[in-house]
Amino acid sequence: MEPELLLAAAAALGLAVVFTPLRVPRASLLTWGLLGLAGMAAIVIAPSLDLVILILLVLAVLQARLTSNREFVTRLRAPVLAIALLALGLAFERMQGPVVLDRFGAVGIVAGLVAAIGLLPYVHEFDPDESVVASPIPWMAFIGPPLAATVLLQANQVIPSDAGDAFGAMLIGLGLLNMIGGSLGSWRTENDASAWRYSFMADWGLAMCGFGLAIADGRSAALLMLFSIVLGRLPLYLWSRQALREKVPTDRPINLVVAAVLAGSAPFAGFPARVLLLRGATQLYWPLALVLAAGMLLWLPSSLRLGRSMGVPRGRQAVGVAIVLALNVLLGVYPQPLLTLAGL
Amino acid sequence: MVEAAFVAWVGAALVVLADGRRGLALGLVLLTAGLAVLASPAGMAFGAVAIAAGGLVAAGQCLRSGPASWGIMPAGSTPRLIICIASGLLALWVAASVTSGTGAPLRFAVLLVVGLMGARILISHEPGAVLAAIASLALALGVAPGLAATSPGPVAAIVGALIAAGVVFVPAGLARLASIPLADKDGA
Amino acid sequence: MPSIALLAPVLLPLIAAGVITAFGLSGFNLGPIAVGAGAWAAVLALLVLWIPLRSTQELSLGQLGFGTGLQLRLDAVAFAFGLMVLVPAALVLTLQRRNWQEAAIGVLGVAAAMGAIEAGGVVLTALAGGTAATLAIVQLDAEDVRAPRPRWSMLLAAWLALSWAGVILQVRSGTAAYAAVPVSALTAPVFALIALAGLMASGLVPWRSWPAEVWSRPSLRAAGLVVATLYPLGFYLLVRAYEMGDGRYPQVAFHAILASLGVVVALGAAVRAQSATTRRGFFAEVIPGIGGFALMTVALGTPLGLVAGLITLAFAAAMTACLSLLPDRAGPASLVTIAAAVGLPPALGFGARVVGVESTFEAGDFFGFIGVGGTIVWVLWMVAGARATGLPAGRGRPTGETFPRVAMAVAALTLVAGPAIGLIQSAFASPAQADVMPLPAGSVGGGLMSMVTVTTVLPVVALFVPLLIIGVLAYGAAGTRLIRTQPRPPLFNLPWAGAAARLRRAVALASMPEQYRSILDLRALEAAAMGGRPLIWLASLVALAFAVTR
Repeated sequence: MEPELLLAAAAALGLAVVFTPLRVPRASLLTWGLLGLAGMAAIVIAPSLDLVILILLVLAVLQARLTSNREFVTRLRAPVLAIALLALGLAFERMQGPVVLDRFGAVGIVAGLVAAIGLLPYVHEFDPDESVVASPIPWMAFIGPPLAATVLLQANQVIPSDAGDAFGAMLIGLGLLNMIGGSLGSWRTENDASAWRYSFMADWGLAMCGFGLAIADGRSAALLMLFSIVLGRLPLYLWSRQALREKVPTDRPINLVVAAVLAGSAPFAGFPARVLLLRGATQLYWPLALVLAAGMLLWLPSSLRLGRSMGVPRGRQAVGVAIVLALNVLLGVYPQPLLTLAGL
Repeated sequence: MVEAAFVAWVGAALVVLADGRRGLALGLVLLTAGLAVLASPAGMAFGAVAIAAGGLVAAGQCLRSGPASWGIMPAGSTPRLIICIASGLLALWVAASVTSGTGAPLRFAVLLVVGLMGARILISHEPGAVLAAIASLALALGVAPGLAATSPGPVAAIVGALIAAGVVFVPAGLARLASIPLADKDGA
Repeated sequence: MPSIALLAPVLLPLIAAGVITAFGLSGFNLGPIAVGAGAWAAVLALLVLWIPLRSTQELSLGQLGFGTGLQLRLDAVAFAFGLMVLVPAALVLTLQRRNWQEAAIGVLGVAAAMGAIEAGGVVLTALAGGTAATLAIVQLDAEDVRAPRPRWSMLLAAWLALSWAGVILQVRSGTAAYAAVPVSALTAPVFALIALAGLMASGLVPWRSWPAEVWSRPSLRAAGLVVATLYPLGFYLLVRAYEMGDGRYPQVAFHAILASLGVVVALGAAVRAQSATTRRGFFAEVIPGIGGFALMTVALGTPLGLVAGLITLAFAAAMTACLSLLPDRAGPASLVTIAAAVGLPPALGFGARVVGVESTFEAGDFFGFIGVGGTIVWVLWMVAGARATGLPAGRGRPTGETFPRVAMAVAALTLVAGPAIGLIQSAFASPAQADVMPLPAGSVGGGLMSMVTVTTVLPVVALFVPLLIIGVLAYGAAGTRLIRTQPRPPLFNLPWAGAAARLRRAVALASMPEQYRSILDLRALEAAAMGGRPLIWLASLVALAFAVTR
């Protein structure tokens, strides 16, 4: 799963660099993107969770030093909390002691992962006017997916079976929190850029529920959700930045199609992810599937809002949007090759 | 080993309580010494050397930047003192009483340093202190693999040491990169 | 015919959409003939695939990746519903001029609807049906973003519910393929999901829903196409449920409830139709009204009921095409359409309703009352139709998208098709019914001249042809000169007619009283939660740690 997500992140970077408006300095975008990719590659190939945490520390410091309106110290807080929690969680897992210590270790790892990505309740501070590279968005949509896949894979090797249930339950619980909080926030918040950020959270909520189910269908759903984040939501967010600044919502057909992509409706990538998630939840505990199905409807009002906020893509952006749509349709109708590649 | 753990505690407390470069540097030195000693019996002899080197480099750089004072326990630092003591006691209880097996000092040091440095970064506003805390955190993360049942090898310690040594230099390096226009008005 | 040919009814419109887009991007609009060619090609493919064999054909092309494979199936049900979708869609696509974007989206919608119909399992139907719904919304908004359209949330909920039903079937029985689902897997909760999906997908509710609202749009190009492609899909799910349930729904109560709902839907449409202020307002309720009658009979659970329901749906498809092309003005086209819509004898609608009501009596027990209710509603439709002949036309439509002669021809065809109901039953409806419902001996039979049921024989030709002749003579004698456009009061007004709208307005305007706003300040709550505060982080950590110790 991790190499596939790394490839997806690379593809997203390529899309962003090639199809970004001419006024955007491609060199800086490419530079920092490649740095991030290098960090992600290091995370994916790291043989232990300790090295992953250390690499995370490097990425956090590098990103915090970027030019921004927010203070250096402020921007470090959430990533450092993540690192500390991951380290403490890992330490608890390695220590011999009562079972509750293993559970605390699981808490640390899950909370640390959530803090690294920037989800509820460990949300990174967000300045809507900030450059995307310096904002929390790369944690959510660029570094986050391979990081999450790697951490969870490594954690499964460290966490004993006694604490496995608690680990899964926490992932699902936090996933539901982000699903509902993110979709409601995306719908009701005043600022459109914040609404985009909330929408990432909502998608992550579904992905976390998928990881928490700990069966093949759940992991498949999580993989597809993360792909839809990296290769769908992230590029669309990047291309919406100009329209967000101009604050001119538009109601063209393309905005509606974008809304459909963001809402996870058929035939886009979010739909099979939702189907797999429902299947996994039904297998384990059907009331969870009921909650998930009801929650999935909350994506719609926010997606319509985000679709309108994108403006009308023109020129290179329009080509980029078309490519993103095509990729999402392909993943939505025929995800089997990706799942086979990921061993699911 | 117990003494080394105590020294690491004192060093971490100094990093938390000091705002001046001398205090931070001393704290780093003590912390480095303690962690390096704790690392060596954990099958990471080479790693211990790397920890020591990295910590000393970080302390040296720390001594050259920031307010030229000790700045230990300035006004309003009572909560920090309480955190240092409480976390020490908590880490001691967990390491010595709750958990079992050999390596209690290392457990104590790792839990304490990670927790304290995390708290330092969360509550601090001064970049110098935060960078010192990050360096300390990196050192602790470097020795943490010693908690594992099997010998972890020196890789994590070397990486941690490199990060500790490098992070305090990062502002100067990135200042040159920052000249590339990054934040723009119209796109990413 | 190789089984790969089953892809044709889906692929041909897809290819057409691609060609339209390619030419459109190059600056050429291919025109409606070329656009309609894609849909007509699909019709032709459907006929070529089905007619020579008239037996089920299947195609399986491997796994798609979300628990279902690409399995297509063409049986009598798919053939019947395929024609219901394709023929009206092809007609409107061929006649009405669209820009290339609307044409491409419209043809894609047709392809998606055919995909839903030809799909061999529940999950694939959900995927394709959801796609059709998405495309319908885009199509309607592309034409006019401010005009009424279906609630996307309702359509999304419908296909999501169907997806869930499909995965439940997969989990319980290992498959969601229509032909392979064991009867025991179709439990009451699963069927409830499928029924809910069907009702929401087709807007089968007693109050005014999208199948009525879309007809009030300034232009009906997209509306007609959307109704043609989406409206039958909900009924398709209810028919397929019979196949999964071996000819019945899991509980008798489902038959009773859904059939009763059908009457209520038809009643709601009739009440709104008889109080319409324009002829366009009356026509807007025609499709929901016919749909109500169709639901009443489809849901009965008897072979005759299902046959009647399928004939009614075919009639609805014809009326969809007719209404899409009908101009907003008085004239013979409008008059003939009204006559056909309300089910005047000997129209196809008349025959279908007669058979439908009879099927309720044959079903026995409580269902007879449903038939009585259906008859009363039918009478109300007659009254509404009579009133509608004198109503003013409506807001008017762009003349370029109306074809009164074609509309009149379609309506007239349904009028004269009444005597041919025996043929339609034996060639169109009965094979579909036999595919999904085991046929008790002597349930439904007959041929070209009559329909044979358990209790009676309906000599359709002998009975309907004289009626047709009388009708033609009567129309010829009276003509339209006696009709005067004048406001006529409705038969009755519902006292609560505007209550739903008033309630919605009241809810929308509701706000927290000034003195309580400081208690729940959402902005402050959001700032606290999203502000990156260490105290909140710490509290969350403590809460998590506490939770895992329980």
